[in-house]
Amino acid sequence: MQGLIKDLNGLLSPAQVLSQPEEMLAYANDATHYFKSRIPDAVVLPHTTDEVSKVMQYAFTKEIPVTPRGAGSGLAGGCTPVNGGIVMDLKRLNHIQEVDRNNMTARVEAGVVLKRFQDQLEPLKLFYPPDPQSASVCTIGGNVATRAGGPRGVKYGTTGNYVTGLEVVLPDGSIINPGGKFVKQSVGYDITRLMTGSEGTLGVITGVNLRLLPLPEANRTIVVVCETLEQAAEIVAEIIARGAIPGMIEFLIKLAITVMNNFFSPPLPTDGEGYLFMYFDGTESQVEYEAKVVTGICHDMKAKEVRRIDDPKAAQAYWTARANVYPLIQTIFQRATTEDITVPRNKLPDLVRTVQTIAAEEGVMIGLAGHAGDGNMHPSVLFSQVTPEILAKAEVAIDRLTRAGLELGGTISGEHGIGIHKAKYLAWELGDIQIELMKRIKQAFDPKNIMNPGKIWMEGGGDHA
Amino acid sequence: MLRLEEYENIIEKCSHCSYCQSTCPSFLAEQSEAFVAKNRLLLIRETVMHDRMPYSSRAQEILDYCLLCTNCTQTCSSKLPIDDIIIAARSKARQKGGGIKQFVMSKMLTQRGLAGVLGKAGSIAQKIGVATKEIPQLAGRSFDKMYSGTYSPAGEVKKRVAYFVGCGTNFIFPDTGEAVVKVLNHNGMEVIIPPGQVCCGIPSLGEGDLESARAMVETNIKLFAGLKVDAIVTDCTSCGMMFKEKAARCFADDDPLQEQIVAVTSKMWEVTDYLQNEGLTIQPGKLDIKWSYHVPCHRGWSPTVKDAPRKLLGQIPEAELRELEHPELCCGGAGTYFMSHREQAEKIREQRLEEINNTKANAVLTQCPVCRFYIGFKVKDREVTHPITILARAYGL
Repeated sequence: MQGLIKDLNGLLSPAQVLSQPEEMLAYANDATHYFKSRIPDAVVLPHTTDEVSKVMQYAFTKEIPVTPRGAGSGLAGGCTPVNGGIVMDLKRLNHIQEVDRNNMTARVEAGVVLKRFQDQLEPLKLFYPPDPQSASVCTIGGNVATRAGGPRGVKYGTTGNYVTGLEVVLPDGSIINPGGKFVKQSVGYDITRLMTGSEGTLGVITGVNLRLLPLPEANRTIVVVCETLEQAAEIVAEIIARGAIPGMIEFLIKLAITVMNNFFSPPLPTDGEGYLFMYFDGTESQVEYEAKVVTGICHDMKAKEVRRIDDPKAAQAYWTARANVYPLIQTIFQRATTEDITVPRNKLPDLVRTVQTIAAEEGVMIGLAGHAGDGNMHPSVLFSQVTPEILAKAEVAIDRLTRAGLELGGTISGEHGIGIHKAKYLAWELGDIQIELMKRIKQAFDPKNIMNPGKIWMEGGGDHA
Repeated sequence: MLRLEEYENIIEKCSHCSYCQSTCPSFLAEQSEAFVAKNRLLLIRETVMHDRMPYSSRAQEILDYCLLCTNCTQTCSSKLPIDDIIIAARSKARQKGGGIKQFVMSKMLTQRGLAGVLGKAGSIAQKIGVATKEIPQLAGRSFDKMYSGTYSPAGEVKKRVAYFVGCGTNFIFPDTGEAVVKVLNHNGMEVIIPPGQVCCGIPSLGEGDLESARAMVETNIKLFAGLKVDAIVTDCTSCGMMFKEKAARCFADDDPLQEQIVAVTSKMWEVTDYLQNEGLTIQPGKLDIKWSYHVPCHRGWSPTVKDAPRKLLGQIPEAELRELEHPELCCGGAGTYFMSHREQAEKIREQRLEEINNTKANAVLTQCPVCRFYIGFKVKDREVTHPITILARAYGL
């Protein structure tokens, strides 16, 4: 990489090029910090699409790997530079270019932080539902690249359901604008969709067109305490089967409640094993009706406690605590690694039982939380201490869990993406023919294999540090 | 004890969730992950803690760009004591040999706290390049030259309150101190101002000069521990944090001073927080003022301190709160930071000023004297002051 920094300084201003080891440390991992650090050779901080294009043209000519990066809060290792090269930090592309109230659409640059965007929509009575729990820091470009979701998936789907157009810089530096401001399109292959979830392996997403919804006028929050995890899972399956669609249904175990409890007044009882946080949004009469129906289901199914929180401020505390459950768990464990298994919703009780069986048989502690409403669970291996023995056991347990999720008709990732974290399991789900097809698509976009190489497909990586 | 060795396992607990990026002023100004808690912890681990990387000038720059505003610590759901780790790292780095800047800053801080630096900033500090054109004017007469001893209310004594006077009030804004005494007296509280108070120690702590900070904590704690009072108040959120959160951590768990530290800090309140908690005994008169509230960063030590001015001044008829878009955004002042990191501080202040200017109000209130003057350097179309002075005005005091 001789001359790399000098060349980059020629393309951008020196303040936009980082290369000192003290700075590179920050870019060597994402929230999968437990994997081996992957130090980039340089980090660039472009302000414009043209600057992204310039760097790509250069990297293409020199055949230097480029790893696009948003907030660095991902849970799959997707934005870490496994083969070194250039990290393209897109946080400075952070303009909300347009919010069109009449068309119910918006156009943003890739580095716009999700919460900032949502905060700007609220006074306009507009709503952009995707809600990865890292909303306070994660970028919309990163959300698109990983097809990110969150609790609202059950009713509103994930990022992919809202992207109508993109601006993308291809590996050779050329700029394309697939899709657009319109909300439907039937013109050839859907490159917008293809880029969405491509994890930086096909090009650099620099701009995003989004579809918006009207902000629901009312909401209700209900918290349900269940005797057992199975009971909680069965209640969720029943709610879905009866055709009720809450805005969110979150599944939590007692352990999570103990670390979240100082957010709540009064605290939740800790004599249950499974907990459900539910949210209903819509018109006043609709949320009132749905809350009543679901409360009835919970009582019929003998839930221990059904707590209804009508004060929106008090209710917010439950959702803030939920968004923080991953770092909160870290207060009592040395490490937590999170999976992203998603199963058909009627299989949730089976998945919950399987997780408990595997944890007991393999002798590892597995916490369970997730967006139960859409069948997306995040089993987390919890490490009181990190030793090679426990790591080996954890690996066996995760292999078994992943296999079990697939056997239930599920998928290995609902919203985090593959990155390096789940590359090992890709073939289990997709099989050789689909993978081969994907590799040919990759070849068509990125003939020199410079875009985020080593991701989605195994090319080394994924070793714990 | 704020020794770096204590934090080895704690640093490993950082989950890299990156939520600290949502509130770190240096990150928000730079939009680069090099300048956020997550990377500072890694850097500390690799350099001063384990010597796997040299403690280079770049490493020092990245650590020193931290304002110790504590926003990351308050945001961190894993509850990592990030600011303490940075203090411990700066202390360790000093032991390995600090530069002339550190030495001069430390000397000036030890002698007269914040005001020591400010008072001499025009001469020495400017020569060594740690000063700025924006330096607050010291008051003609410091507060302690005007007020010392016991001040009794006109009628019955309902509470006895000791008053810790921080450097900001003592040397720059004695008007805050006068308002504290008058408002407390007006509400039937006797005010005791023990002579011999020194700087709370937080500027020294920020420099990693634990030795000086300990000496100041010890002096102040011994001074206040013996007083028979119902409460100890400060008007400065940073002094409050120093007492309430940091004082005990400056000493070993079994240090004999710990008992006195608990005796003092268990009674410690920020003054508006105390008044709101006690309840005003006399309702204030009307005051036509539209005010914004800049919440100081050092608010984590009391769960109610950030709402106290809102509730207290909410009782003034006709006074109207006009909230800033982000009331808790750092202003960049941060003790002596605005002098040592002029460019960075100004960059951080930009958004704060923009929000203030976009808010139709005729006053900006804050309980931190540094925020008060650092915002005040640029905000000339409205008053910038401490909320207690507004309450005093509503009382006609």
